[in-house]
Amino acid sequence: MDKRVSILIRMAGAMSVLLSACAAPVAPTAPAAPQAPAATEASAPAATQAPAAPQAPAATPKGGLRKSNSGYKGTLNLWVLGYTPGNQFANPFDLAIAQFEADNPDINVEITGYPPNDEGFTKLTTALQSGQGIDVLRLPSDRLPAFVKDDLIAPIDDYLTDADKADILPNTLEAVRLKDGKAYAWPLWVVPMGIYLNLDVFQEAGVELPSKDWTWEEFVETAKKLTFQRANGEQVYGFSGFIDPGVINTWGLWMNEDPSVRPIVDGKFGFDSDKAAAGLKRFAELALVHKVTPPDFGSQKDADVKGGFKNKQYGMIVDATGFSPQLKADKINFAIYPLPSVNGNRITVGAIGLIAVAATNDKVKEQAAMDLARYLTSAEVQEDVPPSETAATGFYLAPAARKSVKVAPPLDQFLPMLDYMWITPLTPAWPKLTRLIHPEYQNIIFGKVDPAEAMTKIAPEANSLIAGQ
Amino acid sequence: MRRFVQKHGWSYTFILPSLLTFTVFVLAPVVWAFIISFQEYSLVRGGTWVTPIYKNYVTAFTQFGGVFVSAIRNTLIYTLFTVTANILIGLILASLIQPLSNWLRTFFRAAYYLPAVTSALIIGLTWAYIFNAQWGFANYLLRLVGLPPVRWLSDPDIALGSVTLSAVLTVPATAVVLFSAAMGSIPREYYEAAELDGAGPIQRWWHITVPLIKSTTLYLVVIYTIASFEVFERIYVMVPSGVGNSTQTIVTQIYNNGFKDLNFGVASAQAFVLFVMIAAVAALQFRALRSDVEY
Repeated sequence: MDKRVSILIRMAGAMSVLLSACAAPVAPTAPAAPQAPAATEASAPAATQAPAAPQAPAATPKGGLRKSNSGYKGTLNLWVLGYTPGNQFANPFDLAIAQFEADNPDINVEITGYPPNDEGFTKLTTALQSGQGIDVLRLPSDRLPAFVKDDLIAPIDDYLTDADKADILPNTLEAVRLKDGKAYAWPLWVVPMGIYLNLDVFQEAGVELPSKDWTWEEFVETAKKLTFQRANGEQVYGFSGFIDPGVINTWGLWMNEDPSVRPIVDGKFGFDSDKAAAGLKRFAELALVHKVTPPDFGSQKDADVKGGFKNKQYGMIVDATGFSPQLKADKINFAIYPLPSVNGNRITVGAIGLIAVAATNDKVKEQAAMDLARYLTSAEVQEDVPPSETAATGFYLAPAARKSVKVAPPLDQFLPMLDYMWITPLTPAWPKLTRLIHPEYQNIIFGKVDPAEAMTKIAPEANSLIAGQ
Repeated sequence: MRRFVQKHGWSYTFILPSLLTFTVFVLAPVVWAFIISFQEYSLVRGGTWVTPIYKNYVTAFTQFGGVFVSAIRNTLIYTLFTVTANILIGLILASLIQPLSNWLRTFFRAAYYLPAVTSALIIGLTWAYIFNAQWGFANYLLRLVGLPPVRWLSDPDIALGSVTLSAVLTVPATAVVLFSAAMGSIPREYYEAAELDGAGPIQRWWHITVPLIKSTTLYLVVIYTIASFEVFERIYVMVPSGVGNSTQTIVTQIYNNGFKDLNFGVASAQAFVLFVMIAAVAALQFRALRSDVEY
């Protein structure tokens, strides 16, 4: 045989061995799942983003709120904020929908996830406006007013029972009464901001845990002690937080200056006051004077803030409830504290998570969609999806908006904050108002503008937005 | 005319698919967007004419503290630096690889073309990592030489410069390849004659190469200008939350109005301001760089 041919054959043989070694191992054949009775068979909802969604176990009917009496037969499209097959939002919803389908064999629920960012909300809005593809949607409260203004959401009043009214926290139900005094969504949960403490960093720095009644001065002192350099040269910072036009995670840390510091006061822009300027200045000093924040504080990405906390690069961050199940699942050693008080003022900012039903002329379908929304905001859904390996806190990723729901740890650490939680204004102007405030807010933190001047400068336009001009 | 149609008419069937695609997917949306720029448009209710008819154009410049003016200024600065740098870098790199052997020239052309086939998002993410103030590679290098860290993407005074630098330091792939091809097509006799007359390498480059690739230069200047005016992905990936208003560009404003606020009228008005700017700059460039030289 020609020498070159021989070499080629040997190379081909070696390559085939290498390739077979590199190939993914063949998965062992899974044992056949026990056959469920045909009437109760409930498969996992179709994964809309990736085929590798974990299969929800078959459920058996239980009745109660799970059972829709609408008589509807067909598909309900459920859009879930933050749902990606396999993530912390997906498993609880998959399990809950499996149960709902078991109780309603004629109803198939298709889940579509959308990300909590501009692209996601654009996708949601476009689908909702086109009148196709959405029957039920989970969304944050600040997005609801614009949809209600465009008559895209069905009011829930005709479906609210006395039991619902007695169970749902009155302030959450009141908050979704947007047009003609009608309520436009089922309150799911309340989402306050808290200060997350990385206990490993505290231990490493030899810092004692402060009291949960801490003041701003104590918070700053703690942040200073947590700002240090490790032996390997790695810098640890005492505090960080995500700042973006779409989020208000950090606002409570300066809005606590005085009860008068609110974005809208008596129908007018409220951040152009002396008290607001003092609060903003004090907050910016974390970066400019005390230097307890990372150098890119103010323009950091959310993933960098959260990743830095998990990787023990930040001692404390401010974030909403949804981060705590992730930390629990990742076995991070953490605690949740209320925001520190200033002059005795205590506040945490937050929003309400909602489940709404898209407006439709098909009343049977609307009834079925309302039944699904009621179930997904009830205590029954928490019974069906209790805390487990795949759902760290059960179905609820934030303290529930119903008294009957049992709040699982670590979310129970947020419960004391609900008494003084300030909910972002439910006005169609809100997204534009935050866009107007954001660059000035950043420049204050970067030390480029004076807080009073910055807020006074945008006040006329803010007032126009609030007035709806 | 009839004879022309009889003789050549059938050949137009070949461009018909492209023409139809262009009309349906480019021309019609552009015309529609122009109409929308004078309307308040809702996906639910459709469009209604605004009064006064130019209201969206005024709003485009005045809303959100006049950020659109900052965006135009930022875009012009970004364009000026990136186009100039990309043309110069492309020209220098192509000139350096031109004298090499065929094999090496092909290798370098392929290597320099890599950024053109790499996702702009990946390039943006890579630069975002390099410029990360805490753990980025740029500050790591500064620390090695004892310099303090720089807030590349979080200082309003330098954030736009950092984004521009990232665009300048990414090899201008198209420029290198096109300049290289243009240089390869220049007849060798010109260089031989100049050499006989005693011209050195720099003189030959300046008096023969540069003038004879002027048409390629014009093409590259125009396409790089258009691309720079439309910068979006790089900004969106590197500074998604913005840095004050210092990193806002025309297209980020169009995106914000169109897709964040669903304010299609104002977004369309801003898009037409961009169109007029690009058309005006391209016309100036054609006038300044047109070449009468043929060979």
